[in-house]
Amino acid sequence: MIGYICKYTPVEIIEAFGEEPVRLDSGYKSHERAEALIHSNMCSFAKGVLENIIENNIEEVILTACCDSIKRLYDVLKDKVKFIHLLDLPRKKDPLAIDLFYNEIIEFMEAYQAFKNKNFAEENLLKILESKSFNKEKQSAESIAILGARLKDDVIEKIINSCTANVINFTCTAEERVFNIEAKDNLLKSYAESLLNLTPCMRMAEDRSKLINKELKGIIYNTIKFCDFYSYEYAELKSKADLPLLKIETDYNDSNSGQILTRIDAFLESTGIKKMEKQRAKKGYFVGVDSGSTSTNVVIIDENKNIISYSIIPTGPKALESAFKAFEIALNNAGLQEKDITSIVATGYGRVSIPFADRIVTEITCHGKGAFFIDNTVRTVIDIGGQDSKVIRLDDSGNVIDFVMNDKCSAGTGRFLEVMARTLGISIEEMAKVHKEVKENITITSMCTVFAESEVISLIAQNKDQRDIIHALNKAVASKAVSLVDRIGRKGKYMMTGGVAKNQGVVYAIESRLGEKLIIPFEPQIIGALGAALISLEGK
Amino acid sequence: MDTVKIYTNIIKDNMDRPEKVNKLINFGLTSAYYYVSFFKDKRIPRSLHYLNKYSIKSIKDSLANPQNSAWVNLFAPSEFLIAMDIKPLFIEAYSSFMSGFFIEDYLIDTAESRGMSNTLCSYHKTFIGASELNILKKPKFMMTTSMICDANIPTFKYLSKKHGVPLYIIDIPYKYSKDAVVYVKKQLLEVAEKLEEVFNRKLDTDKLREVVKTENKTRALMREYLNYAGEKRSLPTMTFEMYMLFASHVFIGSKEILHFYEMLVEDIKRAPEKNGKSIFFIHLLPIFEKNFKDYFNFSDKFHIAGSDLNYDFLDEIDENDPFKGIAEKLILNSFNGEINRKVARIKELIEKIKPDGIIQFCHLGCKQSMGGTFIIKNLASELGIPFLYLDGDCVDKRNNQEGQNRTRLEAFLEML
Repeated sequence: MIGYICKYTPVEIIEAFGEEPVRLDSGYKSHERAEALIHSNMCSFAKGVLENIIENNIEEVILTACCDSIKRLYDVLKDKVKFIHLLDLPRKKDPLAIDLFYNEIIEFMEAYQAFKNKNFAEENLLKILESKSFNKEKQSAESIAILGARLKDDVIEKIINSCTANVINFTCTAEERVFNIEAKDNLLKSYAESLLNLTPCMRMAEDRSKLINKELKGIIYNTIKFCDFYSYEYAELKSKADLPLLKIETDYNDSNSGQILTRIDAFLESTGIKKMEKQRAKKGYFVGVDSGSTSTNVVIIDENKNIISYSIIPTGPKALESAFKAFEIALNNAGLQEKDITSIVATGYGRVSIPFADRIVTEITCHGKGAFFIDNTVRTVIDIGGQDSKVIRLDDSGNVIDFVMNDKCSAGTGRFLEVMARTLGISIEEMAKVHKEVKENITITSMCTVFAESEVISLIAQNKDQRDIIHALNKAVASKAVSLVDRIGRKGKYMMTGGVAKNQGVVYAIESRLGEKLIIPFEPQIIGALGAALISLEGK
Repeated sequence: MDTVKIYTNIIKDNMDRPEKVNKLINFGLTSAYYYVSFFKDKRIPRSLHYLNKYSIKSIKDSLANPQNSAWVNLFAPSEFLIAMDIKPLFIEAYSSFMSGFFIEDYLIDTAESRGMSNTLCSYHKTFIGASELNILKKPKFMMTTSMICDANIPTFKYLSKKHGVPLYIIDIPYKYSKDAVVYVKKQLLEVAEKLEEVFNRKLDTDKLREVVKTENKTRALMREYLNYAGEKRSLPTMTFEMYMLFASHVFIGSKEILHFYEMLVEDIKRAPEKNGKSIFFIHLLPIFEKNFKDYFNFSDKFHIAGSDLNYDFLDEIDENDPFKGIAEKLILNSFNGEINRKVARIKELIEKIKPDGIIQFCHLGCKQSMGGTFIIKNLASELGIPFLYLDGDCVDKRNNQEGQNRTRLEAFLEML
């Protein structure tokens, strides 16, 4: 077998040699061995591939000079595997570029032939290409596109399975190897040309705007941490904003994580692509369970949407146990029994682990629903929880029309404030006080929790006033939240939900930056659970 | 509060008024130009003083004359622009100046709020941020090469689309071959045609040849300079090593740069003998990082021996066929192609300059550079020279962990 990563690799040549081309994946949680060989700030995909090659003792590799990370991966691997070849891939596809790529393919064939001591038969290649020379099926009108950087097969599969629309994969991992080789007399050159004619990736000089079809129902846009290419196209698409667009950022290894799948689900729900099971509304009581990373919250409502009771408890080591407990407390508070409950909707990170729920819905949809129910003038919900923060845009009917979420790190979340309170040696309640009048207007420059912590330590070492440091930290959280708001555009009124909404200092800092008052619900932590209860009642 | 801080705050307060910010930046550059013209620091040799003025003026001129300017990257073949009297503005230099004005954080945050990745190179993000805020007036043309930095093509494509300004991308193959030279030469002929069309003037091939001749003379002086760089002490600050990029890249081929190198060679001949320890830098120098400034600028103890980026091409360009010659220069750049090419150049420079230590500052986002760190570390170990790599950012000061960098840098300097 010979490992490869890029779709422009001449895999059919490898097949014609009678060898097996295997697309190398990068599914490792740890990059321990890779980071001993290459800098840790390299693209996580490249590091993952390196880890894979070492872990599985892969002996033959073919790479293309597609990006700086892969070029360096080649340099690092050069003396570590038995066979390695780097193909220079032109970024244009004029006749001279085709000649160059053709020469590169010939050079690879000669090198591999010499290494394997095997002869290459052109008729084998012709047979393989003929077997792949059928026309693409016409795509149905209702389609959703996946654009951006490569995405793992299981995530693609999950998207395909969770929506009714046709999913078109334009990333590097798409299987689009369809060839139409007409000039059989110069087979290799025609082959080189057809490879260069594949859907262009962002490293190519070609314009990709033709990929965006107005008939698309939406676009899921993937970017990879430390990959330079794709955020530009996302920024461009976003500014046009005539199509529903979801940006996700993965580090490839955990692209199937709960947070990514939550976003995809919520996006599909908001665009109407994901069909949620309809249930007939019944009289009785309806429950929403929000199993969050920090707290588990339950709300019970009656058929008239009155809140009968609610509970908030910290999420313990087991999400399911906390959910049971919170449910039990809410039932007791309401004086109800489980049999009185008509249906239960679960939301939050732990939603998939709650067996007594009838349905699961993402916290984005639920927060939108809950916030709009509390105040139907709300158009933007800022939810800052323990591990993540999100901003949700609602239309005039309360439907979610856009949202953004923080990336994997905990900058600007409740966790950030907890770490800083611990560093300052004070309680989280003390952190929540408003310090409007400051002696010194300090700015915490690092958004990263770890780096911000070292900054706070040096401020302590400089004997700065604790209130000024707290003020600076609240400003840092506010700044992160407002930059999320700015990513989807400002539109009032604003409601703030989640545990951090209880922090007056942060609320005040966000209000100062937005220049507008925030609506804070009576209990900001239960809005997601309330939304889930409302969905449970409405049965849609 | 110092003057720069007041100036920075005025700019930041006016970010929603691009015309005013543009004027403020022009005012800042003009003030800097007159400041360095009238208040000559006696510690700075004549040649570097000249380069200082030249670099500030070149940025100022291209910003003031957008209709006669082109946005380029550091590696773009600006010989064509020089031959046609078009002012190049290289994006990396602009961003560096904005960091000097302490407004890079605002510009970077703007770029990120538009969707740019937070790990993208801050030279590019700063420029994109300024462009998003319309602080930069759009030029007549843009030109970039694909080589060395992944961000070049997408940044220029993005800017070209945003401003509706024509762009030419020169694709530089990774490997050298006759066909590769033909491929690039054809593109250079096309870019020349495009320039003629956009600026409505003819490219005089004799003038281009003259630029190439001047460039060859300049490189001969660069090689001569290197003969002294091991024994003499002539670079008082890290900023000057970075200013040299104006001379070794974008403006090479101009009479002024030839004049600069003539002065530089004279200066180094007269410079004092090296004392203390000398450090050779890989890739970029963190000119805004406090620890580095404290230790290296105007220091008797630590001397900046140079950096490989200023010597990424040292050969002659074919004067008879400048299109072919420039194509070869681009493909054969030591930063292009397998890392062995870069390693060989570093080895050659180190053997000439004989530094006491090597520092690679891994600028966040620059994969081509940081990806080779451990390979260069092995080279340093083979050569028996201490090597240090530090992570940080040459533009976005927020990405530099001052405390951590200080410990590592001091420990390294103690080691020497």
